[in-house]
Order: sequence, then structure tokens, then C-alpha cells
Amino acid sequence: MNIPDDLYYTENHEWGKVEDGDLRVGITDYAQEELGDIVFVDLLPEGTAVSRGDSVGTVESVKAVSEVYAPVDGEITEVNPALEDAPELVNQDPYGKAWMVVIRMTDPSAARSLMDSRAYEEYVKAEAK
Amino acid sequence: MRTPLFQEHVRFHGRIVDFHGWEMPVWYSGIREEHLATRTSAGIFDASHMGEIFVKGPSCVPFLERVQTRSIEKMPRHKVCYSFFLNERGGIIDDLTVYCVEPGERYMLCVNASNTGKDLAWLSSHNGEGADIDDASTGTALIALQGPDASRILNSVTGIDLDGMKAYTFACVPTGPYGELMVSKTGYTGAGGAEIFLASGHAPKLWEELTARGAVPCGLGARDTLRLEMGFPLHGNDIDETTTPLEAYLNFAVDLAKPSFIGKDALARQREEGLSRRLVGLLLEGRGVPRQGCACEKDGVRVGIVTSGSVSPVLGVGIALAYLDKGVAEGDEVDVAVRDRALKARVVHPPFTGGALCIIPKRT
Repeated sequence: MNIPDDLYYTENHEWGKVEDGDLRVGITDYAQEELGDIVFVDLLPEGTAVSRGDSVGTVESVKAVSEVYAPVDGEITEVNPALEDAPELVNQDPYGKAWMVVIRMTDPSAARSLMDSRAYEEYVKAEAK
Repeated sequence: MRTPLFQEHVRFHGRIVDFHGWEMPVWYSGIREEHLATRTSAGIFDASHMGEIFVKGPSCVPFLERVQTRSIEKMPRHKVCYSFFLNERGGIIDDLTVYCVEPGERYMLCVNASNTGKDLAWLSSHNGEGADIDDASTGTALIALQGPDASRILNSVTGIDLDGMKAYTFACVPTGPYGELMVSKTGYTGAGGAEIFLASGHAPKLWEELTARGAVPCGLGARDTLRLEMGFPLHGNDIDETTTPLEAYLNFAVDLAKPSFIGKDALARQREEGLSRRLVGLLLEGRGVPRQGCACEKDGVRVGIVTSGSVSPVLGVGIALAYLDKGVAEGDEVDVAVRDRALKARVVHPPFTGGALCIIPKRT
């Protein structure tokens, strides 16, 4: 399972990458494996204000549907347009081409309260048991 | 519980889930890949969790005539038919296939895994005729080999000529390495192929040989999307004790002409009075996936509910089976409530795609 060192993680299996005051958000390799073949990704539009824990969209596989939650407070400033026509990118490249939204953080230091890669690895191991 | 093929599922990295108490693979490589392999080449499925019940003895025919919906009196040797156990209200206790092993003497019933215990208890409690009922489920494995290449692969491993068999028949073939195989030209995918019953101990070896010749291991996920694409109902989702075969468009598997069977009076009455709802197909017009339990509306009025839904890997759109009020016709547009959205869907008559071989008789 791939857990890059330079990202932050949530308990709902989102990842976040800090880019100045923005957080680029997607779902983790573990999450896409658990969901299986992704068939639809549906995201909130740019300009939406979100609080930590709010849904920013849904990811739907053949078997199940799963919410994607905002890891931090802020405003959605970008939405990945590629996922509408190519949802399978989530399975193929969860940390790259399949980023979902960019959130401008209300508090630029908020990402530091999330898990780092080591903590997330432990968390996933515990959850898998 | 585990089937005799559990170690094979582990070896092929199957993702194991609980299915009514059975540890079964939901997928190995992925539902879409397995689904498409079955449509274009060959998929192999472990269905060993299903129940096999033998009914034997001098009174087996009158007993079976009463407890299931098909007339079996004139059923020829090695013929298979799809049938139901019904309650007095015409509700479906289970759907099953009946195998005529020896006419008048010995029949095998293949029933749903999750219903086997319930079916056995129900059969015993209705066995006034004193037929001999023998549950062979534990010692019997079932491997489904489905798809356009199934026949070639089966032939290369066992020498059996599936192409020379008619649909809905079976053959009992003794083999050296796998014992006696009961090879049935049936399936639950619409892709053609065989279902093979054999003694549990021989199952891993046959599975290994069939997969070595290119059959792609498929889990319950692909089994579900394949059957849904064909519009085949799943007991517990689309049919149950509160729905009748007439409502589910499965009249072909009910012989209302035979003198008597449990549930017949209720069905005859329902046919006379007319149906209030019918099981139909829904084809989504936009993005989204309908799921079991989603409400359906037409012109703002509730007209029914989705009983099975997914996305068709062949078509790439959402498909569903739903019970809709009789006023809704084929070709109509309905709204399916998927979470906070109303998704447009067209009412259609399944199958949603043409399988390689559609062996379910035309619905009337």
C-alpha cells in the first residue's frame, strides 16, 4: 500500500497536500482499494465554503458509495475536471491525477492537526484488523 | 463457513467478505475486469455455498409436484428447470433449479445458500407424502464456468463436449481426476457455459486446472453485476416471500395448468384480479448509480422502489430492477431518488445487454 511521506491524512482516508495556504485533497490508495472500481465522482463546485468534516463530494464504485470529507475549514477553489469523464483515475493514480479539490484553508496551519504518513500507516493497520 | 475452494480464493488474492455466514470472495482483480472477462472469454465462480437437496423414493413425484411450481411428471432424464417454492400467498420462499436425475425416482434441487436451512425445514414440514429428502450441500461443490470460451476450456480439461449439449440439460460424466462431474448447461450470467457439481474433495483440483487454462476467477461482485445486466432476479433483493412470480415477470416458471401446488390458488386469484405492480428494468439516462431501496417517482408521485441497482460494466451506465405500479409503462421516464438527487431513468424490459447466450425463456 502506497502512503507518501509528504502528505497529511484523515481518519476517513483522505489525503491532503499543503501548497502555500491551500490544501489539495484526494482519497488514499487504501481507500480506492477498499472501494474497488470507481465509476462516478461527484464533487461540490468551486466557491463552496466548507467546514472540516463536511462532505465535498461522493465517490461511487460498482459496489458502494463513499463520501469525501473536507480535512480542514476553508473554501473550495479548484475542482478536478478530469474525474467526471475518467473516474477510473482514482484507482490508477489516487495521489496524482485523481486529486479531487483544492481548499483554501481558513487557518493555513490547520493541516498540521492531521495525521502524518507514519500515523496513518498505523491507523490503517489497526483498522484492517 | 467456508467452501472447499476457500484456499483457492486466498491463493488468488480474493477479497473475502461475509455472505450470509459464508466467507466468500467479492472480487479478486476487480468487478469490472472479471465481469468483462466473463462476457468476452471465460469467468470461473465458486458457487459451492449453494444448497443441493436430493428428493428420492416412490413418493418423490407427488411431493415435488405439490411443493414447487413446475410440472415434473413428464420431465425427461437429465433435464433442468427453473422453479419456485411458494407460500400460500404465492410469495416466493426460494427460487431453485430442479434436476431430473432419474425420472420418477430421483431429483436434485439446487437452492440459494442463504435459504438452504429454511428450505429444508419447510420441505420437511410439508412432506406428507413421505418422500426421502437428503441434504447433500456439505459434500457437494459447485463451480460455474461461464463465457464464450467456457466450452473450449471445459473440453480441454475434461473432454466434455458442452457444445453438443442443449441448454438446460445436464450430463453425469465419470472422470479419473475429479470423480463424477454433473455438468449442467445453465448459468446465472447470460454468457453461456456450464455449472459443474462435484464432490467437495475434488473441487480444488478442477478449479486449478480450469484457471490454468485461462478461466478468470470471479467473485460475488461480478456474479451480481452479470445477473443484473441480464435482468435475472436475486432472491432476497428482487423476489422474496412478499412478491409473487407473476409480479416478477417470471410466469414461465409457474405451471398454472398442473392440478395443484402450494401457492397456486393465490396466483390464480392474482392473475384474475390483475397485478398492481411489476418488476421492470430501469436504465439511467445520466450519471449516477441507483441502489436497492431508492424510491421511484413519476410526475412527482411515488410509483415504486428499486430492488437491485448497480452500474453496467458493459454499458457504463446505471441499471436497476424495480417494482413499479402497473400504470407505468415500458418507455416511460421516471425519477430515481439517489441520495439528494432525482435521476432520470427509462423503464425498459431486461436484459440490458445481449449476453452471448440468453437462456432464460422469453417473458410473456
